[in-house]
Amino acid sequence: MKSELKVREFDQFRAAYCGLCHALRKEYGLAARFILNYDFTFLALLLSAGEQEVSRCRKRCVASLHRKKCVVLGGEPFRRAAGYSVILTRWKLRDAVADDGFVRGLIARFGGLFLRRAYGRAVRDFPDFDAHCRDHLDALAALERDNSGDLDQTADTFANILAFAAKAAASEEDRRILAQLLYHTGRWIYLIDAYDDLESDRRSGRYNPILARFSMGAEEMGEADKSWLHTTLIHSTSLAASAYNLLPDGQWGGVLENIIYLGLPTVTEHVLEGKWRRRDRKRLARKETATV
Amino acid sequence: MSDPYKVLGVSPNASDDDVKKAYRELARKYHPDNYHDNPLSDLAQDKMKEINEAYDTILKQRSGGGTGYSPGAGYSGGGSASGPYAQIRMAINNGDLATAERLLASQSNRNAEWHFLTGSLYYRRGWLDQARQHFQQAVNMDPNNREYQMAAAQMNSGGFAYRGGFGQGQGRGLSCCDCCTALMCINCLCGG
Repeated sequence: MKSELKVREFDQFRAAYCGLCHALRKEYGLAARFILNYDFTFLALLLSAGEQEVSRCRKRCVASLHRKKCVVLGGEPFRRAAGYSVILTRWKLRDAVADDGFVRGLIARFGGLFLRRAYGRAVRDFPDFDAHCRDHLDALAALERDNSGDLDQTADTFANILAFAAKAAASEEDRRILAQLLYHTGRWIYLIDAYDDLESDRRSGRYNPILARFSMGAEEMGEADKSWLHTTLIHSTSLAASAYNLLPDGQWGGVLENIIYLGLPTVTEHVLEGKWRRRDRKRLARKETATV
Repeated sequence: MSDPYKVLGVSPNASDDDVKKAYRELARKYHPDNYHDNPLSDLAQDKMKEINEAYDTILKQRSGGGTGYSPGAGYSGGGSASGPYAQIRMAINNGDLATAERLLASQSNRNAEWHFLTGSLYYRRGWLDQARQHFQQAVNMDPNNREYQMAAAQMNSGGFAYRGGFGQGQGRGLSCCDCCTALMCINCLCGG
């Protein structure tokens, strides 16, 4: 019984993933489909967190044409998530053009061209989100130029990009709850991402908020600082959870609970222990064999 | 008022023990301690009130009308307030963070309470790194103050007053197997 429920939850997540894919295709064209990932699916789930009714149907999947899959027709929240995803990707690519070396910059530029039409349509649908995104990313770029060591402020600038999405909530109460949920999820994503990039940023001399906050030079991050960072990350996940608890029970209960209660803290542990990425796991394995 | 059984998430045929268990689980989840200084604390209080009332009603119905029982009541936010900080405290409690910030900035005497209130202000905003530094500073300057100690302890624990629902085998029954699903779900979140 219990295991069936888990399978059902996993199917739900996959149906949401497919649902977002179809929403991207329908609203923003073929190219938009390629930006689909789990992050944006999570965003779509968060935006429809309180939804009571979710309709489904079976549709053909572009990735495996011979099979029809169960797809969520997510309605307005999914349409919004699709538009936001396109806008976020476009701005992320712009930053990549500015930050990265020639080759990666070129790829990002090409990606930007590829998405141009989809982006145009997304801006037409959600002009305020586009402006909001641009303002906040510009503010973030300014903080980066100043090599800001204020972890909260840089994370806040990023977190507020996501928190904006709460505007669409049905009631003022839901808006406040969702804003808090999105804010702390965003804060967590920004910081965990920064930690994940710590080594490569250090090597390439790129700005990293954690390097700046803990005034680190070439040395490894000390245990005390690491524990401090761990606590602030976990604190954000617990505030996201306490916000989520206040939302009315919706269709996505099981999946979202799973991600918020278990997924975020587990990823936090893995990233901080350096076991998250495949190459990290490989590196650890090499270290172990070397010591044997 | 809505159906008290629905509020507690149990069937009207549930045993007294089951009702009690459901009540306790929810009361722990929405306990004011979990929402201390949280910008959503008013919503959690409403929820807590609703749960208490539902449990009360069921108890009364089942005992044929008895005394009112409302555990979890009697929470009041904030500690002692005196001097120039009373106004700041009130502003923070009312969620008027801009006023609190302005008043804090105008204080020249940056004592333990100043750091505590600055920490509270940051906490409300979700600026947890700064909040923790200021709470810690408040404790350093006035190590015997219970209020400061509790705030600092909460920050040191990562805000976990409530751990129900997972890790203790209670709540909605998430198992370790879920971790895999959860990981699959958010794999790539930081894949950059």
